[in-house]
Amino acid sequence: MSDSRDRLSKEPGDEPPSGGGLKDRVPPEAIRAVPVRHWGRWIGVAVVFALLAALFQAFRGADINWDVVGEFLTYDTIVEGAGKTLWITVLSMLLGVVLGVVLAIMRLSRNPVLAGVAWGYIWFFRGTPVLVQLFLWYNLSFVFETVNLGFYKDEMNDFMTPFLAALLGLGLNEAAYMAEIARAGIQSVDHGQTEAAHALGMNNGKTLRRIVLPQAMRVIVPPTGNEFINMLKTSSLVYAIQYTELFRAGNTISSRNLAVMEMLIVVTVWYLILTTVFSIGQYYLERYFARGNERSRPPTPFQRARARARLLGSRGEGAGSGSVGGV
Amino acid sequence: MSTTNSPRPMVRAERVHKNFGSVRVLKGIDLEVSPGEVCCVVGPSGSGKSTLLRCVNHLEKINAGRLYVDGELVGYRQRGDKLYEMREREVAAQRRDIGMVFQRFNLFPHMTAAENVMEAPVQVKGLRRAEARQRAEELLARVGLADRMGNYPSQLSGGQQQRVAIARALAMDPKLMLFDEPTSALDPELVGEVLDVMRALAEDGMTMIVVTHEMGFAREVGDSLVFMDDGLVVEAGDPREVLANPRQERTRAFLSKVL
Repeated sequence: MSDSRDRLSKEPGDEPPSGGGLKDRVPPEAIRAVPVRHWGRWIGVAVVFALLAALFQAFRGADINWDVVGEFLTYDTIVEGAGKTLWITVLSMLLGVVLGVVLAIMRLSRNPVLAGVAWGYIWFFRGTPVLVQLFLWYNLSFVFETVNLGFYKDEMNDFMTPFLAALLGLGLNEAAYMAEIARAGIQSVDHGQTEAAHALGMNNGKTLRRIVLPQAMRVIVPPTGNEFINMLKTSSLVYAIQYTELFRAGNTISSRNLAVMEMLIVVTVWYLILTTVFSIGQYYLERYFARGNERSRPPTPFQRARARARLLGSRGEGAGSGSVGGV
Repeated sequence: MSTTNSPRPMVRAERVHKNFGSVRVLKGIDLEVSPGEVCCVVGPSGSGKSTLLRCVNHLEKINAGRLYVDGELVGYRQRGDKLYEMREREVAAQRRDIGMVFQRFNLFPHMTAAENVMEAPVQVKGLRRAEARQRAEELLARVGLADRMGNYPSQLSGGQQQRVAIARALAMDPKLMLFDEPTSALDPELVGEVLDVMRALAEDGMTMIVVTHEMGFAREVGDSLVFMDDGLVVEAGDPREVLANPRQERTRAFLSKVL
C-alpha cells in the first residue's frame, strides 16, 4: 500500500512522455485532403426537391379554402374538442398505467392464480380491437339494465355515458399493453438490486417502490411516451360512441358547412400540436429518469445551445489554438 | 477457531445443507464465529462459500441443519418440535442487524452516495432525513469519501463504490458484517483501499465473515480461516497456521495454486 502511494506521488502526470529534445519538436503539418464527393446524395436531394415542388404545386391548385381552415382553427367547439381529446387521453393513460403496473406485478407473482388472471386479462384485451371493446362498453345496457356497485345503483343507460364507455374502452385496453411494458421494465432491473435492498432489511413492497420501479422507469418511460402519443390518436375512435372529442367536433361542423377537407386539416393541425407538445414533455421525463446514468442522459436543447455559444465564444478568443476538447 | 468459554457465538452453523434442485452445494457445514471475530472463508470457486454466506442472512433457504445468528434461528421459529417459516416482516427484521457487502457492489444507481447510505435508515428504521444525512456524512467520511456525497455510483470508481456499499451496510448498525468476495470485481490497484476500510472495521471490533481470495488479508486481519471445498469445511483454524502448514492435502493443493 505504502509503496503504491509513493509511486503515485512520484508521477506528476502532466509531463508528456519523455522523448528527448521535446521542446524543439513541432507537430507535423495538419492534413488538408480533398473530401470524398457524395454525388449520389446531391442527386437524391434534387429528386426530393422536385417531388416537394410538385406536391406544393398540386396543393396550390387544389380547391381548399384556407380562410375556413384559419377561421375554424380557434373555433370554440374545436378547441373544446381538443381539450376533451386531451382529457380522455390523460385519464385513459392514467387508468392504463396504474392497472398495467398492477397486472405486471401480478404476472411476475409466484402465485399461479394471480399470474394466470393477469395473463388472461392481457390475452383478452390485446386480442380484440379497441373499436369493438368501445362498442361492447357502450352497449352494455342491452344485457345489464341496471348497474349495482353496492354503494351505487343506477340505470345502465344513465350510468354508461359516452365518456365512461370511452374511458373504460381505452383505459382497460391500454392496461394490457402497459402491463407488458411494465413487466419488461421490472425484469430489466438487476436482481442484485433486490438482494441488496433485502439485505438492508427492506420488505418486498418498499424494495419494489423505492429500488426496482424507479430503475424500471428508465425502460418503461420511452415506450409509455409512445403509448401516450398513440392514445392521443386512437382516442379519435371514440367518435363512434358519441363522445365529442376533437375528431367528432370537426365532423359535426363539416356536416353543417360542408367544408370536409378544411375541417380535416383543422383537426390534423390540432393533433400535430398535441403530439408535438407531448414529445417535448416526454424528452424531459426521460431525462429525469436517466439520472445517475449520465451516458444515456442527453443535454436539453437549452444546455446544448449554451454549450455551442460558449464554444463559438472561445473559438473567437483563442483563434488558431484549435482546442475544442476543453469546452 | 472459537473460544469455547465465550457466552454465545455470533454465528453458529450446525450441519447446514443446501441444494439447488439436484445439485448439492452445501453438504453439512459446521461453523462458529464468536463476537468480534474476523472469519475468512477461502476455497475454490463452486465450493459453496458464497452460498454459505447468503444462507446466513436468509437470502438462500437452507434445506437441512440449523443456522443461528446471535442465538436466534435464521428464517424460522421453533415451537416444540415444529419449525415455522418466518413471515417476510420477521425475516426483514432479522436482516437489519446483518450487513452484507456484495462482489458487484449492488449500489442503487438512481441514488447518490449519500442517498444510498440514507435509504435503509430512513425507510426501515424510520430515521428522519436530516439525522440520516448527518450519519451518512460520518460514515462516508469514515470510508474516506466525505467529498463524494453527491456523486452517483456511475461517477465513482469500483473501489469507491465498494466503500460506499460498506458505509451503506454500516448505516444499519449491524452486529455482523458479511463480505462476499468484496474485492474480486475490482482493478488490482483499487483492492488496497477497500481492504484498508475492512481492516479498520475489524480493528473496531466488528464481527465479520469474509469470503475472499486475498490470502494476505486473511493472514493479517483474520482471527480464523475456513477452507471449503465441494460443500464441506475441509480445514479450519488460525489463518497463519493454516496458510503456513496446511494439514489436509486438498488445502495444500489449493494454496499452492493461489499463494
